[in-house]
Amino acid sequence: MPSSAVRVTAALVRDTFREAFARKIFWGLFGFATVLILFFLFIMKIDVVEGALATISLFGKETGTQDVQRLVRDVHGAIAAFLYGIGLFLAVFASAGLIPTIFEPGRIELLLSKPVARSHILLGRYLGNLLVVASNMLYLVLAIWVILGVKTGIWSAAFVLSTFATIYAFAVLLAIVVYVGVRSESAVLATVVTFGVMIIGMIVSQKSLLERLLTSEWSRNVVRGIYYVLPKMVDLGNISRQLVRGQSIENWTPVWSSGLFGLVVLMAGLLAFRKRDF
Amino acid sequence: MDCAIEAQGLTKVFRNRWSGKEIRAVDQVTLRVERGATFGLLGPNGAGKTTFVKLLLSSVHPTEGLAKVFGKDSRVPAARRPIGYLPENHRFPTYMTGNGMLDFYASLSGMDRTSRRRRGAELLELVGLEKWGDVRLGKYSKGMLQRVGLAQAMMHSPELLILDEPSDGVDPIGRRQIRDILGGLEEKGVTIFLNSHLLAEVELFCRDVAIIHKGRVALEGKVKDLTAGSGYRVEAEKVPERLAEELRTRASAVMAVNGLFRFQFPNREEANRAVDLLRAGQCEIESVARSQSTLEEVFVRTVNAQ
Repeated sequence: MPSSAVRVTAALVRDTFREAFARKIFWGLFGFATVLILFFLFIMKIDVVEGALATISLFGKETGTQDVQRLVRDVHGAIAAFLYGIGLFLAVFASAGLIPTIFEPGRIELLLSKPVARSHILLGRYLGNLLVVASNMLYLVLAIWVILGVKTGIWSAAFVLSTFATIYAFAVLLAIVVYVGVRSESAVLATVVTFGVMIIGMIVSQKSLLERLLTSEWSRNVVRGIYYVLPKMVDLGNISRQLVRGQSIENWTPVWSSGLFGLVVLMAGLLAFRKRDF
Repeated sequence: MDCAIEAQGLTKVFRNRWSGKEIRAVDQVTLRVERGATFGLLGPNGAGKTTFVKLLLSSVHPTEGLAKVFGKDSRVPAARRPIGYLPENHRFPTYMTGNGMLDFYASLSGMDRTSRRRRGAELLELVGLEKWGDVRLGKYSKGMLQRVGLAQAMMHSPELLILDEPSDGVDPIGRRQIRDILGGLEEKGVTIFLNSHLLAEVELFCRDVAIIHKGRVALEGKVKDLTAGSGYRVEAEKVPERLAEELRTRASAVMAVNGLFRFQFPNREEANRAVDLLRAGQCEIESVARSQSTLEEVFVRTVNAQ
């Protein structure tokens, strides 16, 4: 028998999924993932020649013979990069509305009247939102992993592992959505601020270049400060790529510092939610 | 007798972030609702009724004072376990079905799956929506939403039911049905706290009321005490002109409609003397009763006096 806390968490997660289904968010992401899977299943053909070489053909046109190991690694890398870049934007854009909807007048009062701590309600919703996106990402990656594995006989666990880096990055971004959502109750503002953080993070990730371009030490310090505070989305993307290539991760700073940022922002969101009147 | 609700100096001040202007929505409210009571909270629009309810449920934090539910500080989540709540202007998620909605909110109240299913079916039948359980709430009428909302509030068999305008949008038959359901709960000892602007409904159902005005409790007490007048009313027909004139001098008020005289006397002695005179004058006495005010009259008097 599940404990009351588990039951409440499960109910909140289930409700997020139900809302994601009803608002076509889940089906949108699922459909997008399915289209990509079908592309790999039917459009992209890989013929393995003598076990080590393979030819790849798109829409019937061959691209030449390559080393099969390298080919699979490149395809995995391309998908991981695509998922990290476009997938993250898409996931934030599609699912940002799932957090602020619970603050709607007439809905929040009833939720708060239940014997559940406010932080539990918000974390349950956060977890639900994370799982909606994670399940679609895993669906896409696992399906492609199986298709390529069956076609080539190469089963690289690193590709699947790299998905968790993308999910981790989404978890950090979702914390921003939660914070802005609690403060503003606006899905649009939550999305815009999150995209803003992503874009600024990308710009300041070119720290060395910016430091060369900037003339004053003060402005260089500002760039450094922003870089160290904001989540390091570009660096996390590089880690995802390194994972796909089976390379060891030498610098874990982007992982823990981005996680710390997400944790602090999520805590701030929880605190703001606890203090608010509805 | 122990208390279901106890508010001590409860105050809520809303401050405008930009202008700094303050609004005292609830101001030093001290109120007790006994366990098993049927209590009505009345007040004009903007009096602070809904804010008071939100303070009880901790969706609004008090500026001063304390609210307790069955002896527990209302800010503690466990204090809300024995409460069933139907908010005013609720917005149940329209993607849920009736069954799904009952199941979701009951899960948050800590009910296990078997109990949720059994109780959900029972309550949908009780509110007359047994055939609508699998239909999305977006298809429900306003009255149906009120009834399924009431079922939601009753799912975990609460000891205290807080209902904010429960009859809003419900037709007269539905209102009667809701009143009967609440009557059944009252018999089981459930405390019912009704926040309504429908005074007749509160008068019919509640034994205790409080009138809140400008954030303060303006009047509270038992409905029968508040509506009981201090005088007596005598109604009679075929009253001769001379006797009517004499009684007019003794009565505090007289009204004559279609030959029926209605005399209002300030005390029992005057009423008895009038009855003697009417009998001696061969008049037909229609009724003798202690005069009463309606709750509406009490309400208007109280609000106007503030």
